[in-house]
Amino acid sequence: MAERLRVGFDVGGTFTDGVLMRGREVLAKAKALTTDDVTGGIITALDELLGSSGVDPKDIGMVSLGTTHTTNAIIERRNLNRVGIFRLGAPATTAIPPLTGWPEDLKRAMGGPELVHIIRGGSEYDGRDIAPLDEQAIAEACRKMRGKVDSVAITGVFSPIIPKHEERAAEIVRDILGEEVHITLSHRIATISLLERENSTILNASVITVMQRAVNSLKQAVKERGIQAPLFIVQNDGSVMSADYAVDYPIFTVASGPAASVRGAVYLSGIEDGVVVDIGGTSTDVAYIVKGFPRESSITVTIGGVKTNIRCPDLLSIALGGGTIVKHRGEEVLDLGPESVGYNLVRLGKSFGGPLLTVHDVAVAQGELDRKLDVFKTDFLTRPEAIRALPRGLVAAAWARIKDRLEEAIDKMKTTAEPVPAIFIGGGAMVVPKAGIAGVSEVLSPEHFEVGGAVGTTIAEIGAYAEGVVDLEREDRDEAIAKVTEQAVENAVRAGAIRDTVEVMDVEEIPFTYMPGKREKIRVRVKGKVLQ
Amino acid sequence: MGARDILADWGVREFRVIDRAAIQEITLGASILATGGGGDPEIGLLWTYKVLDEGKEIVMVDPADIPDEIQVASPACLGAALVLTEKPPASEVINLAMRKLERYLGRPIQATIPIECGGVNSPVAYAAAGELGVPVIDVDGMNRAFPELQMTSWVTHGVHASPTVSVDDRGNVTVIDTGEDDLLAENLARRAAMAYGGISWIATYPMTGRDVKGSSILYSQSIAWAVGKAVMRARREHLDPIEELLKSLLRERGVEGFRAFKGKIVDIRREFGSETTKGFTLGKVIMEGIDEYRGHTAELDFQNEWLNLRVDGEVRCLPPDLIAILDSETGEPIRTDIMKYGYRGTIVLIPAHERMRTERGIELFGPRHFGYELDYVPVEELNG
Repeated sequence: MAERLRVGFDVGGTFTDGVLMRGREVLAKAKALTTDDVTGGIITALDELLGSSGVDPKDIGMVSLGTTHTTNAIIERRNLNRVGIFRLGAPATTAIPPLTGWPEDLKRAMGGPELVHIIRGGSEYDGRDIAPLDEQAIAEACRKMRGKVDSVAITGVFSPIIPKHEERAAEIVRDILGEEVHITLSHRIATISLLERENSTILNASVITVMQRAVNSLKQAVKERGIQAPLFIVQNDGSVMSADYAVDYPIFTVASGPAASVRGAVYLSGIEDGVVVDIGGTSTDVAYIVKGFPRESSITVTIGGVKTNIRCPDLLSIALGGGTIVKHRGEEVLDLGPESVGYNLVRLGKSFGGPLLTVHDVAVAQGELDRKLDVFKTDFLTRPEAIRALPRGLVAAAWARIKDRLEEAIDKMKTTAEPVPAIFIGGGAMVVPKAGIAGVSEVLSPEHFEVGGAVGTTIAEIGAYAEGVVDLEREDRDEAIAKVTEQAVENAVRAGAIRDTVEVMDVEEIPFTYMPGKREKIRVRVKGKVLQ
Repeated sequence: MGARDILADWGVREFRVIDRAAIQEITLGASILATGGGGDPEIGLLWTYKVLDEGKEIVMVDPADIPDEIQVASPACLGAALVLTEKPPASEVINLAMRKLERYLGRPIQATIPIECGGVNSPVAYAAAGELGVPVIDVDGMNRAFPELQMTSWVTHGVHASPTVSVDDRGNVTVIDTGEDDLLAENLARRAAMAYGGISWIATYPMTGRDVKGSSILYSQSIAWAVGKAVMRARREHLDPIEELLKSLLRERGVEGFRAFKGKIVDIRREFGSETTKGFTLGKVIMEGIDEYRGHTAELDFQNEWLNLRVDGEVRCLPPDLIAILDSETGEPIRTDIMKYGYRGTIVLIPAHERMRTERGIELFGPRHFGYELDYVPVEELNG
């Protein structure tokens, strides 16, 4: 059988990029305007891909998309679900009730304080109950919620390690509120740190319908075009999850945009460990990749004014891009940016007869840039005399400063002193130094990097994780790791991975401080394949 | 009776009202002075916000203004930081601990004193004061964080942790009264926390107003507040937070801190605790220099807090002097419980308060107590 084709879309704020892939080969590219419902832009791009390539839709084995649709819904407080909120943890935890610190308008969008309940239950870290689960209180609260909620969020103390109370509470909610009310359990969403996990869980429950609508209309559109392939959605680490899984876990898509770009860069270059440097017009994002995935950030992520502990890629953003202004006095460079002329480059940059010296102009003067930029309609240079008039010393000093800035950013993200390969992508990749970068073994700029995000969505890999707490004085370390790994594999399979393709990416051990003994938290990340 | 009534009773007319912005600044400053320990400030902060949102007032009073004979105590969290982030307290825990202590003492508690500068225990003392309707006194027991209950200027100046009341969220109560044996009090309190499920809430160091004046780190809260305020202002105005922090210390305490290193964490070697290591996470961190420190190496030991700094093998700071690793751009402290490979920061050294540097203090929490075969040398001399 011929290798199955894959279609991927990167739905950005302005444009929706689409690609049609066979293996690592880009068969067709398309660009459409993003529409409010997401689906419209995708369909336009899809039709263009099918039309220009002439492939048989039946040969398509996978359709995937990266979108920040759910993030936008949260930020704009648009079409959010009314959420019934249960915390299982009383008599503990009552000093800080759910929704503490949330913006008032978002709190209101969730449905109001009568939908918030702190119930007796939850676990201690060692497996004891804080209190037996108060099933009656849950049932009573559910009866009062009838008709007032679209979804329910359940967060139990220490549920990432002992999920039994969350699971039992879900059964009760299901019995009383029925199948049409969606239930989100916190242990499926995030890790230890109750308040942030609870916030993540509530936000997840609030955008289920938003995600469901997008997925349903896409499925419909794909089917109408004779494509029988399953649909996948990109998640925060840049891997994909099946669309049906994504409906239950829409919060896992909030940072999928940059993650997909990083993954696209990895895929196009074939480099699995190193740094990805995404250079735009005003800023540059640097990510460190380990085994093909961006390293995770350990910092809390704020979504729509709410602190969450959703796992997101660790990105370093610096104010350096093609349009960054080079401040100088005579031949002396004073500073680079942080201001950028952005899309006004063609009006304000020296290369186009403008008054300001930019990174773009320095590259032109260095003779590094000799082709038209995709992002602009004009040529890269319209006023060569302005560039020729630049003092040589200034150009050289500016070029060296740009290189310094890049080297510093790359060094900050590296965790090893050894040189690593760097992948330069983005519209500004052509206007920065690539030779002799300190700490870097080689610089690659793969083809098609301008649709790297869309390519990134087509990598048919699923990432998942699990965690647990062990007492190394009582349990065997290897056995404990094996147990957590097994759970991580289950999670990957649930997200759509083929079981025997799942492999361990890393094992992290974090000891408990301020406690005698040898207790630690184990976290295992795995990845698996979608297609055989 | 509220905090203002108590102050009126004492004849105090000047005091500071602690609002949301103030508690944020105090907590940030305290986290910086916590020398890598003290835990995640989030829970203490949210708790204090909730107290303020309920319309309860929090006020802070100058230690010089308090009567000698009043009874005060320190409310605090003792246990595993990680457990606390997963299991925030019941609203009543501090109330319960303080009420039980009052009953044991047979006298009402009229003010709270924070035990240390830390992300958790600083705001907790304020939240407790708000809940109880009593003032916070502008002092603490170390002006930094330390891992054990007995490591305070209170102990080195003859005040003891006993009796200490330790409670949990279910309302279980343990009274620890070990007289002058503060090490035993620590030991028992730690075990109670373990038995409860990793976290306990304590009312400890009951003392009189006279004791407060004679044994505390005076104006410790003002120092933390000034540090927090300086760093917040640096963030807003895009100034160097480290520079602003050092200036604020000079202004508020009249001491000079040192910028000792800038680098990134390249190796973390943790050792697990056991009876022999007193049940704490111990370890060592290696940082590789960046910018002007390129080519240099820093080594730090930690026992929950940073203990000792060596740069290129040379000792630069010993306990009880303070070590903080701060994000160079934001001034946010990097804590031992959340640090990771690749974290980047500037190391700042701060002389410990003179009440922490007495002979008894060096004995109780100086280098030899932490297992170093080294005499204590003040950080000013090591970095002169």
